[in-house]
Amino acid sequence: MPRASIIAAGFLFAGLVGLGAYFFPLFRTAASATASSGTVAGAVSDSISNLNPIDVAPSRPFTVLLLGSDDDSKFPADRLNTQSMILLRVDPGSKQATMLSIPRDLWVPIPNQGMGKISTAYQLGGPQGAIAAVESNFKVHIDDYVWIGLNGLVKLIDHLGGVDILVTNPVMDDFYPSDLSSTGNAYDYYRVAVLPGATHLDGVHALEYVRSRHGDLRGDFARSERQQQVLLALKAQASHLNIADLPALAGAFNGEIKTSIGLDRLRQLISVSSNFDAANVNQVVLLPPYTSDGYAAGQDVVFPDWSTILPLVHQSFP
Amino acid sequence: MERRRPAGIGMGTHSRWLTAAVLAVAMFAFGLGVYHAAGYLKAGKPALQRPSETSAPALPGVMYLAQAGALYRFRRGSFSQVTSESGWTQPTVSPDGGTLVVVKRHGDWSDLYLMTTTGRTIAQLTHNYSAQVESNHWAFYPRFSPDGSELFYDYDNKDPSNSYRVDLAIFASPSNPASQSSLQWTYPNPYTGGDVIPFPLAGGGLIYTRYSIDDQSKLHSQIWLQDRAGSQGVALTNPALDCGQAAISSDQKHIAMVCTRGQVQAADLVVAPFDEANLTLGAPQTLASGLVASPSFSPDAHTIAYLAPVVAGGPFQLWTVSASGTPSPTALTSTLDLDSTSAPAWTAA
Repeated sequence: MPRASIIAAGFLFAGLVGLGAYFFPLFRTAASATASSGTVAGAVSDSISNLNPIDVAPSRPFTVLLLGSDDDSKFPADRLNTQSMILLRVDPGSKQATMLSIPRDLWVPIPNQGMGKISTAYQLGGPQGAIAAVESNFKVHIDDYVWIGLNGLVKLIDHLGGVDILVTNPVMDDFYPSDLSSTGNAYDYYRVAVLPGATHLDGVHALEYVRSRHGDLRGDFARSERQQQVLLALKAQASHLNIADLPALAGAFNGEIKTSIGLDRLRQLISVSSNFDAANVNQVVLLPPYTSDGYAAGQDVVFPDWSTILPLVHQSFP
Repeated sequence: MERRRPAGIGMGTHSRWLTAAVLAVAMFAFGLGVYHAAGYLKAGKPALQRPSETSAPALPGVMYLAQAGALYRFRRGSFSQVTSESGWTQPTVSPDGGTLVVVKRHGDWSDLYLMTTTGRTIAQLTHNYSAQVESNHWAFYPRFSPDGSELFYDYDNKDPSNSYRVDLAIFASPSNPASQSSLQWTYPNPYTGGDVIPFPLAGGGLIYTRYSIDDQSKLHSQIWLQDRAGSQGVALTNPALDCGQAAISSDQKHIAMVCTRGQVQAADLVVAPFDEANLTLGAPQTLASGLVASPSFSPDAHTIAYLAPVVAGGPFQLWTVSASGTPSPTALTSTLDLDSTSAPAWTAA
């Protein structure tokens, strides 16, 4: 082999090693995501071989179930409920999206469990259990899921440089759980006052905004609206990202985010997100008359009115 | 016969080793360079500065702003730090321009302090700390009455029968720090977060932002006017406009406010003529749109300062716009991270 070729190959190898080292956290996270989901291994492994910025956005609509859990020390890691469930449908062709918040206390039949709050489906069945509960009750097909814990959301927002939020009204809470830290009493609490108006929030304060519910007449429904709002703000921030940002993001989470979304679709989502305007995102919260408060099996629950919910869902998630 | 070592063989070996070593180092450096070059492709985050590390186009008068818990004075195009970074926010200037009342925010409570314009504390006006978490209180949004005799502010009165209820209400106290009295002006709709951002009028009335939740569970904010403490008051804006953060011009002929019109992540900065005699607002004119916050009139009422990001998702900067709408908005800063819940306190003095 000519000497010049050997030298060129050496430089090429060194460059690839440098590139590999930079993207190593992404490969590691992709591998763990594949292992934990077991559903999209092909998508992940295919995507590793091609990390160039994506040119082709998906044109087929897809639906993602977004799950959020309180994963602090009050709860065993394998016994988490989902405090937040949002069904997201993205139609890249029409540049329309719909977010539907599912009340955590919705009283529904859960596959292989019997009647229960829909938030408990994740506890016994994991992501697939939550997906099965939503698919069977709402009659929709779910393509992928994303699960995030408390610290995961904080880290995500901090890595994006914070989020800009238009706070609608004062969010006041005298009993906000002081459970983010691994030390101390997870049952301690502190006071929260998120003041109204447009503001830039870091991860901790954004979490307070989406998690607080004691001081609002609309309780969990107000919280659902705020969660959707922060998702819109995250979408705006994510549209600034490119492929070079992903290793730092992936390396930061260490199990705080789980997803069945492969790298290919993740890159497609980032590509798609810059094309969406917040005005084209339809937000749905199942307030009365879609639901009503009630009592079942010794606990406060939310009863669904399927005769009104299903037509709404079929319209938004055809 | 002396056997001479062929010249060049030893040197040639050394030379090859040297070349190989140089190439190896160069390849290592190249790999390292590729690693760092990949990092440079990341989306850039803005490099932020303290206001005192930058300057901006000069404005008439003096303005006080907050960033990262510190108070800054903006005068003749330069910023100077007035307090340390220790929870200071929401300054208001006395009508004579000689003193400030500022909120000092802690984890579970906040207090009002009277201080000189150079940041020396004269008196602590409220004492809201309690060792029991839920017994702490908040104090926010102080504002002097136009004659300087009273101080209006937000305070969370506790509801003894509903420990989860935390609604801010507007109170007024004599501005004399020796006074212990206070008068509750507003009674907020329960579990809305309360009534906020008082703006006392020269005639004795009060303008503020009031929240309500309708029978469809939809939240609304309105600019509200009361003529006296405890009165029912009247709405100056339609619930569908969702207006708040009102600021009144010094001649009390215009109100600047932020209206979302039902949007989730966008708002308009609008200005409308105010007819105090008939308790009405004229047709609103939109001056700016986006994530606009905390408007404040210049002392001569010709200009409105407000806070908004320069780039989508970024930290908040200082902007100005003519109250007439032309010329269009101008960003005066680009590298700050101003506290957007702290309206610029703008005074002629």
